[in-house]
Amino acid sequence: MSVGTRAGTMTRRAALGAMAAGGLGFALLGPRGGGAAERQAAASGRIVLDYWEKWTRHEGDAMRRVVDAFNQSQGRIFVRYVVTADIGQKSMVAIAGGAPPDLIGLYAFNVPGYAESGALMPLDDLAPRFGVTLGMYAEGVRGVMTHRAPGRSDGPRWWACVNTAGSVALYYSRAAFREVGLDPDRGPRTIAELDEAHRRLVKRRAGSEGRGALERVGFFHPEPGWWSWIWAYHFAGGGPGAGTPGIYDAAADRATVDAPANIEAMRWMQGYSRDLGQREARAFKETFGNYFTPENPFLTGKVGMIVQGPWVANLIGAFRPDFDYGVCAFPTLDGQGPPVGHIDTDVIVIPRGARHPEASMEFIAWTQRQDMTELLATAHCKPSPLAVASESFLANHPNRGVRVHYDLFRSPRAFHAPRTRVWQQIKDEFDTQVQRVWRDEAPAEEIMRALQPRAQAILDRAAEQRRRRGGRVGA
Amino acid sequence: MSAAREARATLTGLAWCAPWLIGAALFLFLPMGLSVYYSFTDYPLLEPPVWAGATNYARLWDDPTFWRVVRNTAWFVALSVPAGLIVGVVLAALLGGRVRLARLWQACVFIPTLVPVIAGAMVWMWLFNGELGLVNRVLGLVGVRGPAWLVDETWVLPSMVIMSLWGVGQSVVIFIAAMQDVPAYLYEAGRLDGMNPARQFWHVTVPMISPQILFSAIVSTINAVQVFAVPYVLFRKPDGQNPAGHYYSMYLYESAFVYGQMGYACAMAWLQMLVIIALTGLMFWASRRLVHYRGGGAGA
Repeated sequence: MSVGTRAGTMTRRAALGAMAAGGLGFALLGPRGGGAAERQAAASGRIVLDYWEKWTRHEGDAMRRVVDAFNQSQGRIFVRYVVTADIGQKSMVAIAGGAPPDLIGLYAFNVPGYAESGALMPLDDLAPRFGVTLGMYAEGVRGVMTHRAPGRSDGPRWWACVNTAGSVALYYSRAAFREVGLDPDRGPRTIAELDEAHRRLVKRRAGSEGRGALERVGFFHPEPGWWSWIWAYHFAGGGPGAGTPGIYDAAADRATVDAPANIEAMRWMQGYSRDLGQREARAFKETFGNYFTPENPFLTGKVGMIVQGPWVANLIGAFRPDFDYGVCAFPTLDGQGPPVGHIDTDVIVIPRGARHPEASMEFIAWTQRQDMTELLATAHCKPSPLAVASESFLANHPNRGVRVHYDLFRSPRAFHAPRTRVWQQIKDEFDTQVQRVWRDEAPAEEIMRALQPRAQAILDRAAEQRRRRGGRVGA
Repeated sequence: MSAAREARATLTGLAWCAPWLIGAALFLFLPMGLSVYYSFTDYPLLEPPVWAGATNYARLWDDPTFWRVVRNTAWFVALSVPAGLIVGVVLAALLGGRVRLARLWQACVFIPTLVPVIAGAMVWMWLFNGELGLVNRVLGLVGVRGPAWLVDETWVLPSMVIMSLWGVGQSVVIFIAAMQDVPAYLYEAGRLDGMNPARQFWHVTVPMISPQILFSAIVSTINAVQVFAVPYVLFRKPDGQNPAGHYYSMYLYESAFVYGQMGYACAMAWLQMLVIIALTGLMFWASRRLVHYRGGGAGA
C-alpha cells in the first residue's frame, strides 16, 4: 500500500518513519521554555519558583530588578518572572487545574474571592517566620492583606502581602489653574470648590453650534472612569473606617448603592453631564487618547483635573516631563478632617498547591524589605506600602505629590474597594448604571434605586453559595 | 476480501484514525459531557462543583443582563446574516461577470477576511470615532453630521452590522464559484423566454446557487450567534461596558472566567448550542422548499 500520488509515491512505512523522525527531532531539538540562567539553576539543584506577575514596561522592569537581586543574593532558590496578562483569570484556571505557579501578583480586589475559595495559602504562621508582620505595613494598606468571609465569627486571616500600593487623589494642571485665576498652590478641598474650579476651567470653541463644542473641562467623571463607585465615599466623608459603609456594608453583607450619600453623589455627577451638554460631552470624550499615550487628555490639557493614582507621574515623566501639576486629596463635602481617598494595591500571594511555600515566602520576605519596596515604589511612582519610609526615598521620589498619598495611607477615612468576592460583578453592574446616569437616561436616584436589588441579588447568590457548601470556606 | 483481511483493514483504518478519535474523546466529547453536568452545579471554578439542580437554568429567566445580551445578539443575527448574504450575492454577481480588473476587485473583497479580527476591530474603532473618524469625515463632506457610532446606544447595532460586512469576502468567493458553474443554456433559455438580466438573476442565478446560499446562511448564523472578539474590543472599556454592545458570548465568558461562575456559564453555553441547533434545523427545514439541488431535485 502506498500513500500519495504516483508521481510522489511514498510507502506507508516511510511516511510513518518520517513522522516519527519529525516528532523525535522536535522533542530533542525543539524550542525550550526558560533561559540559560534558569536551566543552569535547575541543573545545579536550586529550587526554581514560577512567579506570575501582571506588570510590563517600566513596572515589570523594576520587578525584574528585585527578582534578579534575589536570585543573586543566595544560591538555593531561583525565581522565574513570568509576565501574565489577565492574571486574575489565568491564575483561577491554573489553581483550579491543580497546576498553579509558586507566586502570583494579584490585585487587592481578587483576595476575598480567592481566600473564600481556599485558593490561597494563609500567611498567619508562615510570614512571621520570615520576619514579615502586619505591623510593618502602613495602616491603610493592612486591610487588603486580610479577609474574613461574611458570617464567620473568628478573626480575619492573613492571605496576601502588598508589593506596591497607591492611593487615589486629585491631580490638577497648575498652568490651567493660573490661567483662570485659581491658586495653583492650593487644590480644591470641598466639592463646592471643585465645582467652582471646574466651571472656571470649562472652555468652549467660539462660533460652534449649540452650546459650543468643548475644548477643555475642569473635571470630567468618565476620565479615566476606573473608579466610578468612589464618589459616595467622598460625599459620606470616608468609608468603613469613618463609620460609613459607602456602597457596601460588609458587616451586614448588604449593598447600599441606594444610600443617601451615593444618590447625592450620582446627582452631582449627573449635574456635570447636564451642564456640559450630553452631545458635547460625548463628542469631547471621543477625542481623548488612551491612558498611557501622549494623547492622554490630562497631558493635552483637555481635562484640568483628574482623579488618579501616583503612577500618573510616570505618564507625565514619559511624555511631558515639563508638565506642571499639583496633587491634593480628592475633596469632600465639608473639606474638614483627615483626607479621604481610595487605596488601591497590588498584592503577592502563594496559591493553594504551590510546590515550595517556604521558598516562596522567603522570596516574598525579600520583596518586602525596605530597600526593595522603595526600589519598586520609586519605579512605579508610588509610595512605599510600609509604615516607615526613608527620608531619601521621599526626598528623591519622582512624584512630587507622594506625601499626599502617604497621608491617605495613614488616614482613618481612607477606604478600599468593597471586600466581597463578588465585587467584580457588582462593579460591572454599577459601571453600566453609572454610564446611564452620566447619559442622563433617568434621574440618578431612580437608577440607583433600581440597581439596589440587583446588587443585593448578587450578594445573596454568593451567600447561598456559602450556605450550599455548609460554610466551608477558606476565609 | 476475506473476513480476516477485512478485519485487518478495519483495524488499520481505526489505528490511523486513533489520534483523532482519542483527541475528540478527550478534548471534545468529555468536556461536553462534563459541561452538561456542570450546568446543573454550583461551580465557582476555584472550589469543587456542588449539585444545584436546575438553579442555573432558572436563574437565566430572572437575570436582566442575560435578557439584554439575548436581545442584542438576536438583533445582530437578524440583521447581519441577511445583510451579509445580500451583499455577498450582489458583490459576487458584480465581480463574477465581465468587469475590468475582476480579479483585482475580487482580491480587494477577499483580503479583509485575512486580517486578524482584533486588528480589524482596532481599525474600525478609529474609522467609527465620532469626532476623528473617517466615516464621519466623509459624511461631513456631504453635509451629514455623523453619530457617535460606538458610543451612542442607538448606533451600536448598525455599526456592528456594517463591521460584519467586512468579512463577507469568503461568501463572495463561494458565490462567484457557484455562479460560474451555472449552465449557460439556462440563461439562453431565459433569454428566449424574454427574461431581462434582473429576472435571469432572480429566476436562474439565485435558485442555482441556493445550496451555497444555504451553506453561507448556516455558517454566518453560527458565527453571529457566537460573536465575541469585535464587541469585546470595542465596547468593554475601563469605565464600563456599553450595554448595547454586550453580546451573549461575552457574558458567557465573563460569567465563567471573570465572575468565576462556571456552572452558570455552562448553562448559558448549552442554551446557546440548543439555539444554534434549532436555527440550523429551521434553515434546513425551510431549504426543502427554497433550495434547488441540481440533479437531485429540491430538498434532496
